[in-house]
Amino acid sequence: MEMIAGVAETERGGKPALSLPNHVQASLRLDFAREELTGRTVLAASRQEPPLRVVRAFALEDGAAMVHLHNVSGGLLGGDRLGLTVNVGAEACAQITTTGATRIYRPREESLVTTQSNEVAIGENALLEYLPDPLIPFAGARFSQRTSIQLSRGAGLFWWEILAPGREARGEIFEYASVELKTDLVAIGRPIAVERVRIEPGNHSVSSVARLGPYRTWATFYICRVGLEARAWLEVERNLRETVEQFCVPSRTLWGISTLTAHGLVVRCVASRGRDVLPGLHALWRAAKRQLYGRDAVPPRKVN
Amino acid sequence: MDPDVHLQNFERDLADLRLLHLADSALPIGGLAHSFGLESLVSQELLRVSDLPEFLRGFLEEAGMVEAVFCREAVRLVRIGEGKLCTDRWVELNDRLGALKPARESRAGSASLGNNFLAAAAALGDFAMLRETLEASKQAGISVHHSLAFGLASGVLGFAEDRAVLAYLHQSITSMVSACQRLLPLGQSAATRILWNLKPVILEMANRSATCAVDDVCCFMPLLDWGAMEHPALRTRLFVS
Repeated sequence: MEMIAGVAETERGGKPALSLPNHVQASLRLDFAREELTGRTVLAASRQEPPLRVVRAFALEDGAAMVHLHNVSGGLLGGDRLGLTVNVGAEACAQITTTGATRIYRPREESLVTTQSNEVAIGENALLEYLPDPLIPFAGARFSQRTSIQLSRGAGLFWWEILAPGREARGEIFEYASVELKTDLVAIGRPIAVERVRIEPGNHSVSSVARLGPYRTWATFYICRVGLEARAWLEVERNLRETVEQFCVPSRTLWGISTLTAHGLVVRCVASRGRDVLPGLHALWRAAKRQLYGRDAVPPRKVN
Repeated sequence: MDPDVHLQNFERDLADLRLLHLADSALPIGGLAHSFGLESLVSQELLRVSDLPEFLRGFLEEAGMVEAVFCREAVRLVRIGEGKLCTDRWVELNDRLGALKPARESRAGSASLGNNFLAAAAALGDFAMLRETLEASKQAGISVHHSLAFGLASGVLGFAEDRAVLAYLHQSITSMVSACQRLLPLGQSAATRILWNLKPVILEMANRSATCAVDDVCCFMPLLDWGAMEHPALRTRLFVS
């Protein structure tokens, strides 16, 4: 574990802040490659710094390699700076999931913002499925995530993220200080989706109809395959609308789907109850995988 | 009066009048045809008249802020280029703003207004840079978004940056209120009052946009995104988006 010590960082507002010794800076790098001989994808190389861990890669029946991301500290602490780098080599297929929800703990007042940086590169005709459990920001949490995804020719992506309002079971709803999610999807050098979200429940009304209205949980699902033409994406969109119709219960859950500027589509979900989100995401994933790749989605074993 | 001062005053007043003209919702670019997802929210009974002041405030704080930052950036692009278009940056800004809009119909709506606006402004006089931008955009195959077109035209016509951003935000929220009037039981007086009360928010967003980078500006409007995505599936529609 690499500790950050001393006065090095800049706190919100540009004031120098004292970094506490329990602030963690750690990164996890995963390189997936397709084996020429077997045609299967393997975890060719990894570099792991605690608390981020991948125990091993599991071979899926469709030839993909699946890994579970672990955070052995149980969640993200105030001031943690975590990095994830994923390279999926040409023709390889990788699936990444988590062992449970990512908890973002209440920080100490003097802590820096907790940050997570994700750098993802998907090679030619490769596929990445990133299917994590929800992010749960605890009361007072300050979290900033930056994700950059580079897609090569023919590259595919299934990438979802779910943001919970907090620890709902104990009535802790929108008590976090801030959550910032910045995502860039770039296909062959051109941006196809840019997401810039900052939620500060203390400063802005989250329940305004301009934001979440009566809903609490928010999910985004990107489905991409570079090279597929715009007309084909409209067809995928239409089919996915039919798939998700059964999960639309206006008083509880809304699902919206739209093509991106090119090469993919985005699904948005808002839900009153967090548990209503995953079944819809799984149904969309299965339907899209079948339509785009002609094969079945293989759910991580934890959800079988 | 000193002839120089007189000329300066004349040019300032002329610029103000031209800005008012270009920011008028009556400008024939198709502004009244788009609700940007509002129609779905009303159809699903998620938006009522009583929600409007807070909704429109939120709209300005989120989507308004994004458009203000891009509008400002386009004004600056003219200044930085000293009258010559930096095509790469123009393409990059339009691509980026398009990528920030997740719903196809809203994206297309913004592009339709942008292209129409740029063409309309270029036709109003001998503005070489606007013609050049139209041509370069066409050649690059990009969609020109409304806020960027408005900012660029403002820069070319010599409008002050802050005033251009204020005018853009004002016409943008006026169009939204107008859409609300056609979708909800919202009378003229109530609509006027809502718009009147939003002016401090417009000022606040315009001021904030002055120091916000294009890469940092955020927008969290998941319900409106849903509304815009769902709009093509509505059985009866008043609006294009």
